[in-house]
Amino acid sequence: MAGVRHMRPLTPKRILAICGLLATILFVAVVVSLRVGAYPISMRDIVITLFNGAIGRGDTSEFNQVIFGLRLPRIALGILVGASLSTSGAGFQALLRNPLADPYVLGVSSGAALGAMLSLIIAPHTVGAIQLAAFIGAAATIAAVYFLGRRGGQLDSATLLLAGIVAASFLSAIIIFLLTLVNGPGLRSMTFWLMGDLTAPPPTQNVLGWFGFLYFVFAVAAGAMYTTSSDLNLILTGEQEAGHLGVNVTRVKLVVYVAASVLTGLAVSVSGAIGYVGLLVPHVMRMLFGTDYRLLIPTSAIGGAIVIVLADTLGRTIVAPTELPVGAMTALAGAPVFIYLMRRRIR
Amino acid sequence: MNAGAENGATVARQPAPFAPPKSVRLKVEQASYAYSATDRSAPKFTLGPVSFEAQQRELVAILGPNASGKSTLLKLLAGMIKPLSGRVEVDGTEVSELELRTRAQQIALVSQESELLFPLRVWEYVLQGRYPYGKRLRFESDEDCLMAGNALAQVGADALRDRWMEQLSGGEKQRVILARALAQQPSLLLLDEPTQHLDIGGKVELLRRLRRLADENRYTVVVVTHELNLAAEFSDRIALLHKGKCLRIGEPAEVYQQDVLEEVFEAPLEVEMRSSGRPRVILRGSH
Amino acid sequence: MPRSIREAFLLRGGSILAARGRRQRFFTIALTIACAAFAYGVRNAGAADVRPQQRATTPADPAAQTAANKRTVKLVTDETGRRMAIPLNVQRVVSLAPNLTETIYALGLDAKLVGDTTFCDIPPAAKDKPHVGSTQDPSLEAIVALHPDLVLATTSINRAQTADALLKIGVPVYTSDPHTVTGILNSISTMADLMDAREQGANLVAESQKRLDTLHAALQDRPLAHVLFVVWEDPLISIGQNTFIADALRWAGAESIIVASQNWPQVSMEEVVRLQPDYIVLTPDHLEAETHEHGDNLRQRPTWSDLRAVKLGHVVMGSDEFTRPAPGLVDAIEALAHALHPEVFPPQVENGKVKMEDGAHFYAATAAGESWRGCGTCAR
Repeated sequence: MAGVRHMRPLTPKRILAICGLLATILFVAVVVSLRVGAYPISMRDIVITLFNGAIGRGDTSEFNQVIFGLRLPRIALGILVGASLSTSGAGFQALLRNPLADPYVLGVSSGAALGAMLSLIIAPHTVGAIQLAAFIGAAATIAAVYFLGRRGGQLDSATLLLAGIVAASFLSAIIIFLLTLVNGPGLRSMTFWLMGDLTAPPPTQNVLGWFGFLYFVFAVAAGAMYTTSSDLNLILTGEQEAGHLGVNVTRVKLVVYVAASVLTGLAVSVSGAIGYVGLLVPHVMRMLFGTDYRLLIPTSAIGGAIVIVLADTLGRTIVAPTELPVGAMTALAGAPVFIYLMRRRIR
Repeated sequence: MNAGAENGATVARQPAPFAPPKSVRLKVEQASYAYSATDRSAPKFTLGPVSFEAQQRELVAILGPNASGKSTLLKLLAGMIKPLSGRVEVDGTEVSELELRTRAQQIALVSQESELLFPLRVWEYVLQGRYPYGKRLRFESDEDCLMAGNALAQVGADALRDRWMEQLSGGEKQRVILARALAQQPSLLLLDEPTQHLDIGGKVELLRRLRRLADENRYTVVVVTHELNLAAEFSDRIALLHKGKCLRIGEPAEVYQQDVLEEVFEAPLEVEMRSSGRPRVILRGSH
Repeated sequence: MPRSIREAFLLRGGSILAARGRRQRFFTIALTIACAAFAYGVRNAGAADVRPQQRATTPADPAAQTAANKRTVKLVTDETGRRMAIPLNVQRVVSLAPNLTETIYALGLDAKLVGDTTFCDIPPAAKDKPHVGSTQDPSLEAIVALHPDLVLATTSINRAQTADALLKIGVPVYTSDPHTVTGILNSISTMADLMDAREQGANLVAESQKRLDTLHAALQDRPLAHVLFVVWEDPLISIGQNTFIADALRWAGAESIIVASQNWPQVSMEEVVRLQPDYIVLTPDHLEAETHEHGDNLRQRPTWSDLRAVKLGHVVMGSDEFTRPAPGLVDAIEALAHALHPEVFPPQVENGKVKMEDGAHFYAATAAGESWRGCGTCAR
């Protein structure tokens, strides 16, 4: 049969190649971001400081402070947040069978933010409490939106979006209500944090440990979602059909739902609500590399990381020394891209 | 009613070229089901009990007016729902107890076309039919590609391989969906009103194809359809359902009795026997 | 609906990489423009690294100097409970809030001020200092680049996160937390100590305290004037009990009619009508030139014009110093006290015009009716 010749199914090799390419771009973005900043450090000094830090040679110079204390944590956080939001967005789009699904649009980010705020009020000093509360907020919101978005027992696109908008507005109102009522100075910073802020210092002394924890959670959640990527490909052609092909649809949806909520909660809890990333990065990755989720999930993750690192770098440099919040940058760039996507049509 | 003739051969039909001993593939024994419509206090709907058997190379058509239980019966056959009483067996195993992927290796259900959310090429779509084989997170092997290619060839859609799904016509899409089902290498092929969106040429072509698949490739095919005459022409046996009861199962000529048909379909119908031995249903009074 | 979404998002012909012609050209151009813009932005950032003023004030070996300073430190707990090590010999200070900048200038320590925010404009000389960004979101790197020995912040304007982040990388940040006028004076004293200007601080505080005490003595037997302190008119926002402004009002012989635990409560007009304050104190946005008009406008506005205080002409334009925890607050308190208690501090009339204290306006109704008279000097 002439079958094999024309089919080019996805292979792990191809995935690695594309991810390698994207990782290279990410690396370049990181290098640029390391180089750029209000504190002048030459490339040579950057490399030296990084090297010293890597081999553990103690270095109390200011270079060390700036690079390891300010720039690297910011970049590391940016990568984490970008990857989490994009992967979560890709998951939601499959789960809800809606290309407009994104943690921000669906109000999930607001739910996570509300959870984080409540935990700041109730237990401001418990490490990890914010993350947990943000996850709960995200999960509860997506559950509510999922159930509200059904019509006659089936998920309906229009109803779903409406439910998301309603949820987002409602949660934002509660957040504003909280902000007006409660008085703590910590809460006042939240208005800023609600726009996306990568400068938050880790709540623990052990910076490496903190980031290790965050990345570990990301790896587990994204990994869990990745195991369902074959299933998601099938589900996207129809839930019933996927069931007939042997997909345990209920289980897959549950895994994706939990994983996407964890990822959203993680991102929002460390950096506030950043919009459009979860919506646009998966779309662009689809346009570039196709809709196969076995490739889409890793490319979305890396793509999201690139976007956030670049947005943050730009935000630091356009109107220096004032810094534009990351959320503002993604919205500024995101809206035109969104409009462009909306205008593409099939003939 | 009882199962039909063991070897399926009747006067009018030529026996298939190679006719090894037939084995019972699908066995439905006193299967019944009941449910009430959700949220409303509509009366419960009961199906069955139904019993029949089908072998390899048989094409069984399930007919009946709307709300007669055809879809429910099909769901029982597919294992989507568990019968309240009785059994549904494929190759000797109770269907609803099979693990999902194992079941998908044996039973393929071709439903009506669904909305694709993102663009997909035909070959990608058909390759998805290989999902039940191998691990859950899997990458398609050469063998998978081979099987998918075979499936496409079986439905005569080889030329469509590189096209985009959205660009296909109704008939082409139907074939591709069928190909995906065939890629599962099932024993039992179930189709739920596959001719609905096709023109008459497409309908005939599809039934012909199904007939060929049954004959040459040894599938057991069960088709739910409204097409009285096409069913009569192409199927080995027909199950006639009415208000949840299986009134008749048997060869077309046996099942198509005028009084029965009129009662079931509530229309003035007449049955003509053709020279091939197969009946034809027409409106009474139109000569 | 699903159909249209599908049509909106499904791509014709799929992958961009496979597209040819117009689409490819469009993307190449767009990508090139984006890269160029980005490169431009990055280049500008590089240029911003080396600002002229910064060059002038950057010592030869800042890192070594800072290190040298750091060898002799003292452990300090600031007003938010944070502990830090501050060098004994503070030469370089960065201020993150306008009131702190003002305080530094008032203490005569502006030579040590190496950086402030873009909002610091009192006194005008502060505008020429190198900027580190806004008060809410300063560039941490810009702050570090100035090699400060000490950074000053305040809870009334800055975010806790900024202080936390700086402390984490070893930059000492002293955050003040003003709630009362006495507290502000203590802060000033402490900050003067930290900046190695104990004497100036002591003098400034002593003088301020003396003026306040005089005021207090004069107003001792007077009943407190009931005042509506207007932070913002639309929506109407006043002050809470725990703010230093409320405390300052008390020093000026007044009391806010609004009792609230929030710092900036939004108040309904009805409440104001019900409470009928004796005086209305407005605070100008100090960027506003025409403060004269501001008070006049009130008379035209419905509901406002019906208030007893407005009818009587008891509308006082307080100085904007009133809202800043800085030495100028004492001036503002005095001016307000004089305006609210004319029986104790009769206004001096010169050439038929009411001589005003520096920084306050007083609109008085003549005996014959309601004509408004503006007054002399206001903003500095």
